[in-house]
Amino acid sequence: MIGFLALAWRPAILPIDPPAKTSFPAELIASGQILAGAGYCEVCHTRQGGEKLAGGYALRSDFGTIYSTNITPEPETGIGRWSLEAFTRAMHEGVARDGSHLFPAFPYDHYTKISDEDVEALYAYLMTRPPVKATAPVNTLPFPLNIRTLQEGWKLLFFRSGRYRPDAAKSAEWNRGAYLAEGLSHCGGCHTPRNLLGAEKADHAYGGAVIEDWVAPALTDENPSPAPWTQGELFSYLRSGVSPLHGVSAGSMSPVIHTGLAAVPDADIRAEAIYFAELDHAEARTAATDAAIKKALATSALGTGQEYDPDARLYAAACVACHYNAGPNPLPARPELALNSALTLSEPTNFIHVVLEGIGTRDGGPGLVMPSYAALGDADIARLAAYLRRTRTDRSPWTDVETKVAALRRQAASAKPE
Amino acid sequence: MNRILHADDRDSGASLPSRRGFLIAMVGTGVTLGFARPGLGAIELPSGEAEATPAELFEPTIWYGIDREGFVTVNVIRAEMGQHVGTALARIVADELEADWQKVRIVHVDSDPKWGLMVTGGSWSVWQSFPILSQAGAAGRIALIEEGAKLLGVGSEACVARNGAVAAGGKSIGYGDIVVRGDLRRSYTEEQLKAMPIKPPDERRLIGRDTTAIDVPSKTNGEARYGLDARVDGMIYARPKVPPTRNDSRVVSIDDAAAKSVPGYIRTLALNDPSETVPGWVMVYADSFVAASRAADLVKVEWHVGESGKVSEEDLQRRAGELIADRNGGALVVDDPGLDAAFAAAKSTIERTYTTSTVMHFQLEPVNAVAFEKDGVFEIHTGNQWQSLILPVLAQALARNQDKIVLRSYMLGGGFGRRLNGDYAVPAALAAKLAGRPVKMICTRPDDMRFDSPRSPSVQLLRMAFGDGGNVTAMDHQAAAGWPTAVMAPSFLFKAGNGALYDPFSISGADHWYSVGAQRVRALRNDLADRTFRPGWLRSVAPGWTAWAVESFMDEASHAAGADPVAFRLRLLDAAGRNAGSAPNAVGGARRQAAVLARAAQKAGWGGALPKDVGLGVATSFGQERDMPTWVACVARVAVDRGSGRVTVEKLTLVVDAGTIVHPDGAEAQVEGAALWGLSMALHEGSEFVGGQPKDTNLDSYTPLRMGDVPPVEIEFLPSTEMPVGLGEPATTVVAPAIANAIFAASGARIRHLPIRPGAVLRALSNSA
Amino acid sequence: MTNLDLNGRPVSFRSPDDTPLLWAIRDEIGLTGTKFGCGIGMCGACTVHVEGRATRSCITPLAAVAGARITTIEGLDPKGQHPLQSAWIELQVPQCGYCQSGQIMQAATLLQDYPDPTDRDIDAVMAGSLCRCMTYVRIRKAIKLAASKMRVGSAP
Repeated sequence: MIGFLALAWRPAILPIDPPAKTSFPAELIASGQILAGAGYCEVCHTRQGGEKLAGGYALRSDFGTIYSTNITPEPETGIGRWSLEAFTRAMHEGVARDGSHLFPAFPYDHYTKISDEDVEALYAYLMTRPPVKATAPVNTLPFPLNIRTLQEGWKLLFFRSGRYRPDAAKSAEWNRGAYLAEGLSHCGGCHTPRNLLGAEKADHAYGGAVIEDWVAPALTDENPSPAPWTQGELFSYLRSGVSPLHGVSAGSMSPVIHTGLAAVPDADIRAEAIYFAELDHAEARTAATDAAIKKALATSALGTGQEYDPDARLYAAACVACHYNAGPNPLPARPELALNSALTLSEPTNFIHVVLEGIGTRDGGPGLVMPSYAALGDADIARLAAYLRRTRTDRSPWTDVETKVAALRRQAASAKPE
Repeated sequence: MNRILHADDRDSGASLPSRRGFLIAMVGTGVTLGFARPGLGAIELPSGEAEATPAELFEPTIWYGIDREGFVTVNVIRAEMGQHVGTALARIVADELEADWQKVRIVHVDSDPKWGLMVTGGSWSVWQSFPILSQAGAAGRIALIEEGAKLLGVGSEACVARNGAVAAGGKSIGYGDIVVRGDLRRSYTEEQLKAMPIKPPDERRLIGRDTTAIDVPSKTNGEARYGLDARVDGMIYARPKVPPTRNDSRVVSIDDAAAKSVPGYIRTLALNDPSETVPGWVMVYADSFVAASRAADLVKVEWHVGESGKVSEEDLQRRAGELIADRNGGALVVDDPGLDAAFAAAKSTIERTYTTSTVMHFQLEPVNAVAFEKDGVFEIHTGNQWQSLILPVLAQALARNQDKIVLRSYMLGGGFGRRLNGDYAVPAALAAKLAGRPVKMICTRPDDMRFDSPRSPSVQLLRMAFGDGGNVTAMDHQAAAGWPTAVMAPSFLFKAGNGALYDPFSISGADHWYSVGAQRVRALRNDLADRTFRPGWLRSVAPGWTAWAVESFMDEASHAAGADPVAFRLRLLDAAGRNAGSAPNAVGGARRQAAVLARAAQKAGWGGALPKDVGLGVATSFGQERDMPTWVACVARVAVDRGSGRVTVEKLTLVVDAGTIVHPDGAEAQVEGAALWGLSMALHEGSEFVGGQPKDTNLDSYTPLRMGDVPPVEIEFLPSTEMPVGLGEPATTVVAPAIANAIFAASGARIRHLPIRPGAVLRALSNSA
Repeated sequence: MTNLDLNGRPVSFRSPDDTPLLWAIRDEIGLTGTKFGCGIGMCGACTVHVEGRATRSCITPLAAVAGARITTIEGLDPKGQHPLQSAWIELQVPQCGYCQSGQIMQAATLLQDYPDPTDRDIDAVMAGSLCRCMTYVRIRKAIKLAASKMRVGSAP
């Protein structure tokens, strides 16, 4: 017990005087900027409408709400007094400068894989940002989860420290993709299901998970989309937010792409695409893609002729003007619903989100905006969901959709910033 | 329109144009022209931007003026709601006037007693205005020729008026110059004007030829101004809380606590309406419409709700059925002797009941109005079809004289009869009076739908007696529905032979042009409907249901008589007796109806071979009123899917005889629109009352025709030089029965209720099997 | 404060950022060619272009179009002579006209995606645009007329 407690609180690392901006080489800062994009630090460390990197973003989980911290170089409320050593320990071990344990909402289980050089570049980038005085709200984790010392136990169980080790059997590009995806981009943080204690299930990596009331779809071949996520589709999606055969980014994936990965060069995006395309065995499945597209487009005009089904008429009046595709291939600006990821997932969550909230200029792809159909009633949205699931997929019907619409609508209203 | 003109107009408070003497005089200053730009009927606020009056203006009648530049401005008292009425009316004036069409302008005028009855409905506009405007144009032409001749120094018999100028030999003088230099003071009595010779049809130069409608360009670039676009400095916005029932809700309490969180929210007030147009209404004010709308969603109002809050569509239909079952009551609109004897002596009889559901207007622009008081006059800015009807109501609501209220005209984002009932002007006016400042009231779509004056549901019982050889010896038609005219314009009710008052617009169409021996038409007012909601006039009004019944029944009767449906009808359209027709409006009578029917059948390939489960169905009508018959026939070709009951309309063929066609392209557009309205109501519309309210309040459940529902439509006008009659509605009346008759021809399924749903077709199929 | 580009001009809206674009355009800027019909994105009368694509403005909050390029019927063509507008006039499409701004804006996106549209394409892409006067027959003809003129115009 004594040993555990001793472990449970690490020594503090002495504060430093905030280093001068000029003490960091410009190339290092530039390299750090790209890495910060790949890790989309800004997404979680900026609250809605708040100053960049100043924290306060609420991360809701099954365990309660955790607010992200201020990682600007402000000395009192930010990381201005953190040395490179302290910063590196936080990234690689999940321990704050004062020795307290960080909650795994901060994905140090991934960042531990980042090379020392890259950590140093990130440090240089962050320490040269404008300092902002801001203190994050108090977390709402219930006892005993709020006891940071207990985090050591969690680490003992689930955390393995160590840098990324390349797989010599794979190409350099694949290894680059794996390094980014497993480490800095921490894709598993959302796409890997977690166990009861909130740790990623190592034996079910990228199997898909629910996070912040959205479904982060499986990135393996468990992904139910009619068309496989090929390297090309993945690249297009991660680069622009649009995958012609799957749809556009939405929810928390939008800022990952548009705020984070936007800073990353094509080569790195392609490397990640190569990594995931291999993970989901896309190549073995591409033979079926043409048939999937053909099948999907055969349904594209459903509901637009002389039509009596009230659900089809609802769809035709509200949706088809933008989602119809004449073929032979769907247009990127016309997300084809029969191919869309949201319709084939086991839960209607993402579909409902997009219908209720729409797709703004900060989501989706360039030039693509979808209005918010929140003005439709819960029953109407449930009818649309059921109709599309029935006519555009061969999956079993979703259940309790109307209740789920009502729940997500309430949740969206309560999450509205003041 | 004869009916309206001869009706007691004490409610309208307006004198009638036909009674006016027409003055031809030189007019100096003081004439106001209410237009901002050529081609735009509505003015943009703030007012006072109207063009300065030219110093000299030849205004031979109140209907138009010619300025010193030779521009002819035609005053249009009709509402522009898609029929390009200003263009048609201006063409009539300009043709007789021999004006240069390039120099013709139109103005949609504001309400003023001098215009007489201001109403746009019944497809009357061209028909009613044609003689008046033609004669006014002719009077102007004659005056201009006389003065032009003097200025040219020739005799007037040597002069010809053409293209805005008077010419003799090689010399000519423009109308503008005649206005400036001539002495155009003339006056004629009404009788002289009526005797004014108008040109023979073969000398018409504008009538019957196509032109770009004056209002069209502004409707492609966002310039056209509708009521929704009106604005005035300092106005605030209001959205109503529409009470649970139309007629018997009373405000008990208002709680606006939650609304106070909406930025821009001002306050919520209950309206006190002496005219009882909007009992129980509450108005939510804010500095933007969005704020007013959101606040209204948060304002909680408790109402005491009367009996009508329990009424369902079924109750309404049951009440109609009870009225029909009661042999007493109602108005005997047609009551030939010998009817009962004919039925008693009949070899065979048939009896059928037809019903229709409630139909919503769903004009695309939700009702709205801007209201404010300025210089002692209350101004209402809104699109409206019947200014003369709502002005006295506004006077009562605002407790002021009609001459201190003016309705300013805007384009209508759809009329279809909804805006004949200008009730929406009342809450806007009351809201402005209460707030003491300009208010723009906008109804959301659900507000508009709950406040609609829908087409009443109807029940009709039809009977026919056959004598020897299948001859028709008698026909009895009884119809029960809500009566809009009884509720809103009781002075326009007619008196039937049995002394009972009735709403002519809720029974017309039953008094058809078939010779059926002894005929009886009994009109019954559905009192429960009139109490529960405010029934409305809706495109084609009664013939929307009476023609449905008559033409479905004629089909059933023809089959009962073992006759072809076209041949059976042609035999009855013998133009004998009262169906012979009369001048000026109904020359030829039923003979012309027979002609459109025969032509439609021929065009559609009647009697030819058809694929399995495909059928042709026919229907014909005289439009709306015997006084103004527009002869129309439709053949529908449909396919019926026996598994699902789905009906695919493969084609609609329509043939129309509307007399002289003033504006052919516009006429075709009206028939297209009217026919597709008929199709929409036949297959895709229809609502129902639930708890005293229409069930459908927006497009998620109310599903009018859309692009993909439109079949090929073929339209032909029979050439005619007879009196031009209405076109906006007649084609609506024939489509539903033609489709139902085609469904029967294709599948043997007989449908007797509108709208026709696949489920009903399936049930009818199993009944026929 | 939402900034965007409206008909080629930078605009800052004072309206709250959850205000539907429609009402901001109409009541704050005063461009009234874009109409209000149903308020639930099912009639198409409020259609504008966001980044060149037809979008129902009555249910699109300002926040969703921050920074975007918006075009209304008033800005479709500087002289109101877009081939669709010319075809609309030539074939006398509008009746009451209330839906026609939205119809034209929607048709512009149709022709951008499908320059030679089939009847099926027209049925589908125009399905969300209700015309209560039922001018559908002429809308279809005018779209085809404009399409043929645009194809001739763009031919090498």
